[in-house]
Amino acid sequence: MSGADGDRGRASTLGRGPGRPETTEHEPEHRRWIGAVLAAGMAAALGAAMVGIPREHAALPAVARYAMEVALPRWGLTEPVNEIVYGTRGFDTFGETFLLLAAVVSVVVVTRSREARRGYFGESQAGEREQEKCDPAESADASEQEARAAERREQDESAPGDPARPQTPDAEPLGTPAPETAEAMTVVTRTAIRIALPVLAVAGLYLVAWGYSPGGGFPGGAVLVGVLLFVYAGFGRRRIARIVRPGLLEGIELAGATAIILTELLGLLLRGSFSANWLPLAAPQTILSGGIAQLFSASELIEVGTGLAIAIFALIGMGHDWTHDESDEPAHHGEGET
Amino acid sequence: MILVNYLAAVALLCIGLYAVLTRRNMIKMVMGLSLMEAATYLFMISLAYRAGSTAPVLLNPPPGKSAQSLVHGNVADPVLQNFCLTAVVIGVAVTAVFLSVVVRIAQHYRTLDSDRVREMRG
Repeated sequence: MSGADGDRGRASTLGRGPGRPETTEHEPEHRRWIGAVLAAGMAAALGAAMVGIPREHAALPAVARYAMEVALPRWGLTEPVNEIVYGTRGFDTFGETFLLLAAVVSVVVVTRSREARRGYFGESQAGEREQEKCDPAESADASEQEARAAERREQDESAPGDPARPQTPDAEPLGTPAPETAEAMTVVTRTAIRIALPVLAVAGLYLVAWGYSPGGGFPGGAVLVGVLLFVYAGFGRRRIARIVRPGLLEGIELAGATAIILTELLGLLLRGSFSANWLPLAAPQTILSGGIAQLFSASELIEVGTGLAIAIFALIGMGHDWTHDESDEPAHHGEGET
Repeated sequence: MILVNYLAAVALLCIGLYAVLTRRNMIKMVMGLSLMEAATYLFMISLAYRAGSTAPVLLNPPPGKSAQSLVHGNVADPVLQNFCLTAVVIGVAVTAVFLSVVVRIAQHYRTLDSDRVREMRG
């Protein structure tokens, strides 16, 4: 998606004179032969190792057999994979959840703008304020003004420079040629997304709601992020702006993480071992089957769904640079653009 | 012949490694790392395969089998499937970290060519 944004940016800079030349086709490469030799060596070593490892006729490892045995009697789950994720190897999943959280925090730290912001989009204000402070007398030339107008259009609901554009893409009459900065897709795509969305959303929630689906919250969360991305791609960011903002998503994400910690810790307090089941077991193949596995899975849905959404939208929202860089070297202009 | 799958995973890993070693475009380096991740998924799922086995699911066992016979019978390894499941999510998150760093470098140095990022030279 950020690639599409980049194309959009490049398209609007085309035909603007000598300011920003076209990207030249240039494929930087480096020490081809050393790379080939090292990769071949790695292939040889791993290939030799592969010949010796167990193949399709080996017996099931003890840990897998154990999980198969305890899945039904001890957890009431007919899905051993789910039992392993949230039961037998629940501690692994616990650690991995916080690895995910650490990755999300890293993305947030790396992508954050100079000043606090309420949405994932719009960080031009900081630059404008700084320019005002440094050089209030500096007047914007024609290309600068064009760049600022493009920025404003991209930026906000209240685009004053463009009164001709309707409020929502659906209000646009059919057959209108798409502008270069179209924020929504064509009516065909939008209709397809409208049909696919409910199916996708229900499928994602189904994966979590019925505790005997493999993985539960992990694939469920990823599917729900797919729903968000569909809306973003098809209808533009205004449609998701109320849900997708850092203040809300980060709060929900940490609530999910807290729920996971509590779920696991209560096992230690009530049953004497971390990640032990402390909830009564419901009948297998019901919505509550699996005891804490289902609770863990639902918390994991929150954690994975919001975590991936934060990471993706933080990346998408990283500032666009519409203005020319004065001290730019002549080569590789387009590559720096995101 | 599951060995073919193992070797395909090795090949995929080495293609990714070659890309990381020789490409200087940082987006392509991240793509190489993603390819190496994908190789581990293929390897783990292939390692879980057992000849003539059923899926490790105790719901609706195949005709002539009960859930109990399935527990002691021939099934695919559920532990490796679990590893793969979690690895996919972590893979996405790690790729997001890589990409955000790449975007920041690109914004700062105005290039994606890591050779042109002088501060990264030893």
